[in-house]
Amino acid sequence: MADAPGSPAGGSHESGGDQSPRANVREQDRYLPIANISRIMKKALPANGKIAKDAKDTVQECVSEFISFITSEASDKCQKEKRKTINGDDLLWAMATLGFEEYIDPLKAYLNRYREGDTKGSARSGDGSSRKDTVAGQSNSNAQVQ
Amino acid sequence: MRQAGTYSGLLAGGMSGRSGPHSLPLARIKKIMKKSGDDVKMISGEAPIVFSKACELFIEELTQRSWMVTMQGKRRTLHKEDVASAVIGTDIFDFLVNLVSDSNHSQDTTPTGTNT
Repeated sequence: MADAPGSPAGGSHESGGDQSPRANVREQDRYLPIANISRIMKKALPANGKIAKDAKDTVQECVSEFISFITSEASDKCQKEKRKTINGDDLLWAMATLGFEEYIDPLKAYLNRYREGDTKGSARSGDGSSRKDTVAGQSNSNAQVQ
Repeated sequence: MRQAGTYSGLLAGGMSGRSGPHSLPLARIKKIMKKSGDDVKMISGEAPIVFSKACELFIEELTQRSWMVTMQGKRRTLHKEDVASAVIGTDIFDFLVNLVSDSNHSQDTTPTGTNT
């Protein structure tokens, strides 16, 4: 990329790639928070392990790509089956199809715990409950679709 | 720089902080899902919950595989080149190859080198 010293008065359109509508989207809409990513990464390393910032940034990009990758596959399936709503099972199917079958069992366990409302008792903070109610309401309506 | 503290949840608008039992913000996950394609219009309430755990598993696996590369190089700090090597060496991470090799073009300036 050319390293222009100042902004040219003519306003040339040479910022390659950055002109796409995607670039206008705020970064906080495209990625998960780096603090959360960092915390999960640290948990996966031994105590003496360090993580450079560039590695965190890369993993942050990879996670968004992972979400898009799985969602696109699930979305295709929904279209073929003429359904409008992508549900949890579509995502599990997509992950199994794309090679992430090892995630399925832990995810099912997580989802079952959630459905049973176990998170209510072991919630880390009180302010989670209000949000949980909204999501639980949505998943109820989804349960009838299945 | 935003400071994490007692009020960070309030300042960040609640949804983007670590509120609730999930380790990743569901509203943000939903936004990223919607950007995956024009066909993605409706998302069930459970879908972001599945992703909050799936992303956690994904980050753990990617980090552990990257750390193995770091260890092979007898280093203690995980760098993006390690992530790139882990991605290239793992079949299920094939969809990330372009992403890591794109951001890898600055590899000649080794971040491990002392900047003197």
